[in-house]
Amino acid sequence: MALKALDIYKLLPKKNCKECGEPTCLTFAMKLASGKVKAEDCPHLDEKVRELLGASTRPPVQKVKIGVGERSFTVGGEIVLFRHEKAFFHEPGIMTVVSDKMDADTIQEIVADVRDHLMVRIGLDLRMNGIAVCSEGGSPSAFGKAVEAVEAVADLPEVLMAEDPAVQEAGLAVCGNFRPLIHAASHDQYREMCALAVKYGCPLAIRAPDLGSLARLSGLCAAGGASHLVLDLTSASLHEVLNSATAVRQHAISRTTPALGYPIFIDTRATGLPDAALICGVLKYGSVLVADAVPKESRKAFLVLRQNIYTDPQKPIQITPGIYRVGNPGPGAPIFLTVNFSLTYFTLQGYLEASGFDSLMLIVDTEGLSVLTAVAAGKLSETLVRDSLKQFGVPDLVSHKTLIIPGYAAPLSGRIEDETGWKVLVGPRDAADVAEFLEKEWT
Amino acid sequence: MPTVTFIPGFRKTEVRSGSSILQAAQQVGIHMNVVCGGLGKCGKCKVYVKSGSYDFDRDKYGKFFTAEELEAGACLACQTSVSEDVLVLIPEESIVQEQKILIDVMGTSTELNPAVWKYALSLSPPSLDDPSPDLTRLLWGIEKAGGPKEGVIYAPLEVIRRIPRVLRESGWKVTATVVLVPGGYRLIDIEKGDTTPACYGAAVDLGTTTIVVYIRNLIDGSVMGIASGYNRQISCGEDILSRVTYARKDGGLKKLQSLAAESINAAITEAANNAGIDRDHIYEVVVAGNTIMTHILMGIDPAYMIEEPYVPVVRRYLTAAAGRAGLDVGENSGLFIFPAVSDFVGGDIIADILASGMAERDEVSLLIDIGTNFEVVLGNRDWMFACAGAAGPALEGGEVLFGMRANAGAIEQISLDLVTLTPAYRTIRHVRPKGLCGSGLIDLLAELLRACIIDRTGRINTAIAHERVRIGRQVPEFVVAWKEETGIGKDIVITENDIKALIMSKASVLAACLTLMNQAGITRNDIAHIHFSGAFGNYISKENAITIGLIPEVPVERISPIGNGAIEGANLALLNRRKKKLIDEIARKIAYIELNAEPSFMDEYTGSCFLPHTDLSMFPMVEEMLEKCRLRRGDP
Amino acid sequence: MTMQTLADWIGEVRSVTIGATRADGGTRTGTVTVGGERDLSFVGTPPTGHRPLIAYEICDDRSLWPAPVNRFLGDRSSDPGEWARWAGQEYAPDLIRLFLTSTRKRGFSDPASVTSTVESVLQATGLPLIIEGSNDPALDSEVFRRIGEAGEGERLLIGTAEAGHYRSIAATAMAFGHLMIAQSPIDINLAKQLNILLREIGLSYDRIVIDPYTGALGYGFEYSYSVMERIRTSALKGDDDLTMPMICSAADSLTVKEVREADPSESDRISVSWELYAMLPAAIAGASIVCVRHPSTIAQLRAGIGALWSSPGGGA
Repeated sequence: MALKALDIYKLLPKKNCKECGEPTCLTFAMKLASGKVKAEDCPHLDEKVRELLGASTRPPVQKVKIGVGERSFTVGGEIVLFRHEKAFFHEPGIMTVVSDKMDADTIQEIVADVRDHLMVRIGLDLRMNGIAVCSEGGSPSAFGKAVEAVEAVADLPEVLMAEDPAVQEAGLAVCGNFRPLIHAASHDQYREMCALAVKYGCPLAIRAPDLGSLARLSGLCAAGGASHLVLDLTSASLHEVLNSATAVRQHAISRTTPALGYPIFIDTRATGLPDAALICGVLKYGSVLVADAVPKESRKAFLVLRQNIYTDPQKPIQITPGIYRVGNPGPGAPIFLTVNFSLTYFTLQGYLEASGFDSLMLIVDTEGLSVLTAVAAGKLSETLVRDSLKQFGVPDLVSHKTLIIPGYAAPLSGRIEDETGWKVLVGPRDAADVAEFLEKEWT
Repeated sequence: MPTVTFIPGFRKTEVRSGSSILQAAQQVGIHMNVVCGGLGKCGKCKVYVKSGSYDFDRDKYGKFFTAEELEAGACLACQTSVSEDVLVLIPEESIVQEQKILIDVMGTSTELNPAVWKYALSLSPPSLDDPSPDLTRLLWGIEKAGGPKEGVIYAPLEVIRRIPRVLRESGWKVTATVVLVPGGYRLIDIEKGDTTPACYGAAVDLGTTTIVVYIRNLIDGSVMGIASGYNRQISCGEDILSRVTYARKDGGLKKLQSLAAESINAAITEAANNAGIDRDHIYEVVVAGNTIMTHILMGIDPAYMIEEPYVPVVRRYLTAAAGRAGLDVGENSGLFIFPAVSDFVGGDIIADILASGMAERDEVSLLIDIGTNFEVVLGNRDWMFACAGAAGPALEGGEVLFGMRANAGAIEQISLDLVTLTPAYRTIRHVRPKGLCGSGLIDLLAELLRACIIDRTGRINTAIAHERVRIGRQVPEFVVAWKEETGIGKDIVITENDIKALIMSKASVLAACLTLMNQAGITRNDIAHIHFSGAFGNYISKENAITIGLIPEVPVERISPIGNGAIEGANLALLNRRKKKLIDEIARKIAYIELNAEPSFMDEYTGSCFLPHTDLSMFPMVEEMLEKCRLRRGDP
Repeated sequence: MTMQTLADWIGEVRSVTIGATRADGGTRTGTVTVGGERDLSFVGTPPTGHRPLIAYEICDDRSLWPAPVNRFLGDRSSDPGEWARWAGQEYAPDLIRLFLTSTRKRGFSDPASVTSTVESVLQATGLPLIIEGSNDPALDSEVFRRIGEAGEGERLLIGTAEAGHYRSIAATAMAFGHLMIAQSPIDINLAKQLNILLREIGLSYDRIVIDPYTGALGYGFEYSYSVMERIRTSALKGDDDLTMPMICSAADSLTVKEVREADPSESDRISVSWELYAMLPAAIAGASIVCVRHPSTIAQLRAGIGALWSSPGGGA
């Protein structure tokens, strides 16, 4: 359980020696509580205390990296059950299935699609993550060929899905240096699979009929030297997937069963409801999601949902400051100043579009704070407005010198006028009233 | 050059053509209300030009006035320029009113241990047998008289220059004054004869609005004189941000610095005159003030402090010769400035902490200082968390339609009859009511809640059929006093918007308290003391402060006002130099929490925008009381 | 065989029954009950409480309705009664949610139409109803009184109350025995505050359904998702002021750029995807009633909810 700053402070030497780089032991305690520093940074802790503090600040779900290079991704490292308690840190990777029964052309078409599909939202690239190569015939050579076909097109992260160690090794022989996820060890063959994981330095997925035996298996694999594990909770029942995943995360976060402190693997094909399974996987603790090629419309919704859920709830998404156009604004168009909190931006943009007025939006950098908070915190100031007008060349864009500011920024109107020499119109507090405002004030 | 004559009082001044009436008023020392800093935004500097011609844009600023007022020549002093002689009437409400300035302290007793010593010396004149230099002779004399050793006293050049003449003219009978400063002992004065009884110090509270000075006798600790006055910087803007803005202007900082020194000098002079003492015998001045004020007094640019990352230039205590800050006391007298922790947790708060005694106790105390900005400190001997934020001016009567400062005519206490809804109130100086000040507003909010006139979000239930509950200009309002009973000829009302502003203000304070408590992991039951510092806390009802959820619910006997903690803390440091060490320890011990960077703060804030709080279980006694009121009131 | 989940909850979401059959003084062919959960949604075998339900949204003035849905429906959406009957028969949602969008247009001056519209929908379908009235203090008391009267005895769920605007809806709910929706703008404190306000004017907590406001997928949905999780966990931790079931709507998700600007040939599939990807998460976060506008979403949503609710074959 997370310790409060004061609980930690009581365990510290209280010497205010500054050797940790903090001015006081109390500030160190605060930063330790919020995970900004490590217990080891304090040189005066005795071993026992350090362990106690270290254990309570280390993530209870292990981090696992899959793949190498630009498209590699890391999962795990999570510390909470609900994103509002802090944040979900590492979004799940979605691995599109190719089978060793497919011909090379089909495989390469799928791989190229995964490689190239790109959706850009709020300045971020949203992508599909990798390829799950599935052994269906049990033939090592067919499997090896399929992996080769994948490798020929792209260096994407891979899951090698072959339970027979011999087949698995045929795949590893092709791409073992690129950190694929080996899938999957079970109680029957975990020794061989562990040996492969150790030999190639790859992460290993494990599966067992129930969570108790899964926990035992993770212990055995860890003892066998495979410490980067992923727990396969695939089931034909979505109900069971959600319940097992919830149980695993609860056992891990509470440190009740550290042997379950690993990321979760879900093969969505088993359920027959690909969309529902992907949704469940994103929300309820999935880290590696295997799926057949996702249709275009679902793909977008999936990527957007995943981005939403893995946004830091304490750090609002920001819009890049600058000038944004609604419609085809001419030099006489109204210009709206607002903050770079994404929700504010999208709300205003939506209502401006609906209003039918061509207009300009001047987005200034308030570090993602909303208007009210930015005004209260002094992040939205007359100097910021002055500098932004200049930086984005606003005087060259319009033929007038009137700036519309958000209703909640009204207290700044005088200072903005003074600092910029522009006339300030105080707009509505609620973006929904913007059409009415423009009708009254701008025509 | 045109002459501007102000009535009432017929004060005259000549100004350059094109000057504003505000500038003219400042020249003659009339302090006008300029909430916006003279930008034509607040409409508070209303004047009437009775004769003469002037330039004023009525189209632009007419909105501040009624037709009658415009007819009578109303204009804004800050936006009216004159080019020929004019006669200007300043209405009472446009002048910064004499206000209740809190000069009371609890008078915490402390060991008398000042940092100033005076030694009456009778030295033997030099001779060929004893040719040691004047200075050495003097310092030896001090050592012999029980003072510090000769080798450890530093003598500044200004003093050395005076030594030979004073020694000889006095017939080698002099009084030497030594102070202890961080650099060691310092010889700061030499006078003829024995002046040892005249040994004084001044404690100063340098506030954004007001200044309080105590002159103390450093031999027996007695209070010699007290004076208070306005910070003359008010004419450059009322709030702290407008001062910083002003400081950015060309020559602005210099002007503000000299106004600060002038204001302190005026108060010191008044106190010294009352006490019948010579200002030159004031050897140490201890100043507690907020971070911006103390920076300005020392002539340090405060501009960078109000921008991220809000770093003050100096975070430890400062010392200097008082003369270098333009203070009119002994030329080499010491000046001690309380340290600041952050932009908003300044020396005044450290002085509050010192005065409250919380840094010397084991049990946990919560210290709250409320003004337009508020500061909250939570802690004990071992640890301390502090934060600061903007409460908005509502709790001080600003941004409230009939809100006013604690001047004569302000309703400072009010209660409602739960059945008839008739108010019973008391005004400052017992004159007809003109408005409501902070303590009255808090009472009113609590009473409206008890009487079920407002719901817990502050919305007025307009379904109540009562003449006092009505829709004003589109907004529901409650009539506090009918125009016949007021001193302004208008109904005094509180509107739903006023109530919202008050709730938002109180919510910031409560949310700050809860954020600190959460950070420390303590509950309201762990709080042994709540100290209110400042004028606001001195006059408000503790029960009502809890009822509306301005502060966490604790038994009322745990709540105590500490009066003007800044001046008290300054007094303590003046009388007992050992406290200065404690002051530095406090400043180092405090962990400052930036509320804007604290994700839970906004959550606590929305939770606190409710009367008393969304989590009613945190206010069990209030809930019990409100339940009883609801029953008495009947289902509305 | 699965390992038990660990959470040690003490609270329970209130059960709320919507609709009344002839036996209870109404005319519905059946009633529905939501709430009763003592754990997170779908957690436990079988899960606690009632399975989340699907409401299909219709309106009485389609000019304020999303274009993709209007395109799909064609003329069907011109008569709310016919629309409700058709949707009930073809797509079998659990409830119908009627928006009196006509009252939200400028210059609305036909309050009598409220009565006739509500009556026609009541006659056209036997499903329990949710009715959304006006959003203007000048109209509210008249509009809600008419809704209340027209549906007297039917145990309607009516909406939507907000903190600035709750008295007339609450008065209707109390006078005519209906339930009401209390909406707050994506904030757990505001949701709780509104419930307290309603209780203090005499409305029982058993008559409230919380609408935490559902932001559009990709445009603030995550805020709604977390507020729902917080409301649900607060209820499970025993906060009585937040123990009401929740209702969510995908309405905003149909207005986003990705859907609005979709190629007409893909418009239906995209609309369904965005509704599904917003409403299934809402059900997982704790919503008891999820609302959609594209009829084709209903089947997919029902399959998803069904699969999360129990293992194939109904076994554990």
